[in-house]
Amino acid sequence: MALINQRVDVPVIVDESKCLEKCTACIEVCPLDVLAKNPDTGKAYMKYDECWFCLPCEKECPTGAITVQIPFLLR
Amino acid sequence: MSTNIDSELNQWLELLRSPNESDRLVAVKTLQHLGDEDALDPLIIALTDQSTTVQKLAVIALWELANPAAVPALISCLASPDGEVRAESRSALGELVSPDHLLLLLDALQQKNVELQLGVLFLLRKIHDVQCLPYILPLFKSDQAELREAAVTTLRYLNQVKQCPAAIALLSDPDETVRRSATLTLGHLADADVVAALCHALTSDVDWQVRRNAAKSLALHADPSAVSALATALADDHWQVRKFTLQALQTTPDDRTLPVLIQALTDEYSDVRRDAAIALGALKNPAALNALQQALDDPDRDVCIYTQHAINSIQEALQEPSNA
Amino acid sequence: MSTQVNTQWMRTDVLIIGGGTAGTMAAIKARQANPEADVLILEKANIRRSGAIAMGMDGVNTAVIPGHSTPEQYTREVTIANDGIVNQAAVYQTGKLGFDVIQELESWGVKFQKDPQGNYDLKQVHRVGKYVLPMPEGKDLKTILTRQVKRHKARVTNRVMATRVLVRNGRAIGAVGFDVRNGDFIVIQAKAVILCTGACGRLGLPASGYLYGTYENPTNAGDGYSMAYHAGAELSNIECFQINPLIKDYNGPACAYVAGPLGAQTVNAEGYRFINCDYWSGQMMLEVWKELNSGKGPVQLKMTHLDNDTIAEIESVLWANERPSRERFHAGRGENYRTHGVEMNISEIGLCSGHSASGVWVNEKAETTVPGLYAAGDMASVPHNYMIGAFVFGRLAGENAIDYIQDLDYLEPDPDFLEAEKARIYAPLNQPNGIPHTQVEYKLRRLVNDYLQPPKVSHKMEIGLQNFVRYQETLQLMGARDPHELMRCLEVHFIRDCAEMAARASLYRRESRWGLYHYCVDYPEKNNQEWFCHVNLKKTEVGEMVLFKRPIDPYIIDVDVNREVYDVAVR
Repeated sequence: MALINQRVDVPVIVDESKCLEKCTACIEVCPLDVLAKNPDTGKAYMKYDECWFCLPCEKECPTGAITVQIPFLLR
Repeated sequence: MSTNIDSELNQWLELLRSPNESDRLVAVKTLQHLGDEDALDPLIIALTDQSTTVQKLAVIALWELANPAAVPALISCLASPDGEVRAESRSALGELVSPDHLLLLLDALQQKNVELQLGVLFLLRKIHDVQCLPYILPLFKSDQAELREAAVTTLRYLNQVKQCPAAIALLSDPDETVRRSATLTLGHLADADVVAALCHALTSDVDWQVRRNAAKSLALHADPSAVSALATALADDHWQVRKFTLQALQTTPDDRTLPVLIQALTDEYSDVRRDAAIALGALKNPAALNALQQALDDPDRDVCIYTQHAINSIQEALQEPSNA
Repeated sequence: MSTQVNTQWMRTDVLIIGGGTAGTMAAIKARQANPEADVLILEKANIRRSGAIAMGMDGVNTAVIPGHSTPEQYTREVTIANDGIVNQAAVYQTGKLGFDVIQELESWGVKFQKDPQGNYDLKQVHRVGKYVLPMPEGKDLKTILTRQVKRHKARVTNRVMATRVLVRNGRAIGAVGFDVRNGDFIVIQAKAVILCTGACGRLGLPASGYLYGTYENPTNAGDGYSMAYHAGAELSNIECFQINPLIKDYNGPACAYVAGPLGAQTVNAEGYRFINCDYWSGQMMLEVWKELNSGKGPVQLKMTHLDNDTIAEIESVLWANERPSRERFHAGRGENYRTHGVEMNISEIGLCSGHSASGVWVNEKAETTVPGLYAAGDMASVPHNYMIGAFVFGRLAGENAIDYIQDLDYLEPDPDFLEAEKARIYAPLNQPNGIPHTQVEYKLRRLVNDYLQPPKVSHKMEIGLQNFVRYQETLQLMGARDPHELMRCLEVHFIRDCAEMAARASLYRRESRWGLYHYCVDYPEKNNQEWFCHVNLKKTEVGEMVLFKRPIDPYIIDVDVNREVYDVAVR
């Protein structure tokens, strides 16, 4: 079956300059498990577009690296 | 699910002592999530970390551990120059303080640090202990309006205090936030002149929130001597004053208020109309029936429902004597 | 693929599936009842932030506090609000034990609103009686519960999703599932199983079209409804949907409970109230639906008449609890409560006994109809049970499960069943280029909207039912590239089961009841003669879904349901 990779606007934005490589706080708390570490950079990113905009990731981030936007379709 | 918990904990405790701030941030955050009691002392030490972010996370981690042993150190954080550290400490202590900490708190209240004093006044509201009174009263004369306001608010939470002339005096405080809080506190005091003082505030204070709060307190007192001041206040410019005045009048039904209550049935604000209908129902006076019948056409459904209740209660009252 | 999967076996005395409100309480109470018992919480997220109250709660809706109300009054009010279709013995438990829960939560550090004298500051939101107790500092509820689970030494396994309850000799003997991160196949043997997986919040498709823009935490996909069904348990009154009045597009609560006592009003476009009770009920939803369809809409929560300080107080609670992203939603649209009403809309449908009545049948001991299987929280059929009811039934499930497992031994699961379930779970990984779960889910939920959203029409629901049955084949087309996608695929299976149950139950009850929740165009009137009963369903031995009437047990609190009708709009 043919599959394509389509661009989407994602709600969880990570400021890579602030994200700490050793830290996994946001990944641990996400109820939908949508965050992951980029193996190349060690920085967190939104891997799956399944966000409930509930904010634990943003609130738990020790350096304020995460901003959660309201998903575009609802905004 | 690690089987070797101790070595896992030690690894993070060691990282908490790292010279690198980033490492300490990761450590304190991880310790917060682990929730291990053995991290208590290192986390208390972290409250004095040179990074205020580490301090803030240490406060949150200690809050989640909920061990009262952290209370003295957290009280010191109420004086932190960093607003976030103060705010988190206040929330944490709000959950952790108990009457056991009263002396510690009163001690802190006597230190001349406004932020610390404000934090302690907030926490004393959780304890409700009359022993605080002599420590609070001097703050009524503070040159800081914030402290006067917080002190008179805390007084409201000291259940055994029944009289406090110094609180009545605050009704003429130059700062309106102090007067707003003082009027609410007076709802819980029983000094001989407290109702008269509230009536004066209701009809003559320049700040509408003071006047509204006076009406709220008069509703608690339910004192018939307030009726004429309350009737006057029904002409107040602010609808919330009129609404809460009506709620006070509901507690002391008085036929002299019939005309002003009927007038209030056509108020611009639906909440005022609703409370006017309730007040008329409380009068149980058939003279109100015509006006209430008209109010049944109110476009606001809530007003209609309470108007119908009022009509029902008047009609029931009419039938009572014949049944007796 | 499935042949290479690593299998982990685990054992516990009491297995709790779902670590939200009910699940954490079940674990704590089981450990309190028997400190020797091994208790395991299985959670597909992380119990620190999972379930309906992941971000805290700003108040409780069903607080029965001595001096304010009694369990008898509470049971009466819920009986009337649910049009008489209740098992009163179960409802009564929430009234009777709710105050214990509140006191215990307080002893753990949860803050409820009190007046200056230290008394509970209850608000009237229901038609009769004060049951709403605000908790403006409630944002940390979940971390407090997590701490208590740890202190009570209940075990927790995060990021494992259960897919089926294991049943042998007619009793629940464990569960199977998989690790949503490493993909391991997990088999757990237990002496008793407690299902606490929350609502089916991903049934209808939100009007925004965003799959996860739901009112409920979208992880709550009806897992427990489906697992209980396949375990042979009865489900009850599934046709009594959950439909809520929510902030349009945001799909979160406007929290009239918080704002109402401070002066906010639910009004029509002309600015007038059209209902006199903000308590969520099917009857209230029907009034909202009528108002929206009468030309007097849109409906809005109005605060513009309030002063700045009062609005700031409302905001300080709303921005901190339950759905804190509300603030940035409004800000993004340039809206402010001081100048704008909050536009409200009717939500898509879901199943949730916490709000309405659709759930897995339980009695007053939280027992399902399968021995050893318990249910609690939003998925357990105790009407209008809300958060306090979830705590109460979590407690009952935990305590009664401990009682039940005395002298009980483990039973070995059927190896054939395990193989078949393993094959079912991992099928999407064998076809990574199969249709993505997002598309399969979108279409399924769109069909739910098309055919099941009230007002209900029999002919439409028949078509819907055919679609849902045929969708079994569509599910086989799904592909997954990793264990995370596999989790979403298996959730779509749960959603399909719930959609079929919702269609069949709605077709079966040929009357209208519960306001908009079961408003049938073909049978617009309530019919107590024929339908004053529960509609239950279950899976037969041969795998068919059967529906039947279950009589209502005699009331323990006298209510004349023909005379006492729930009405929120009459004069």
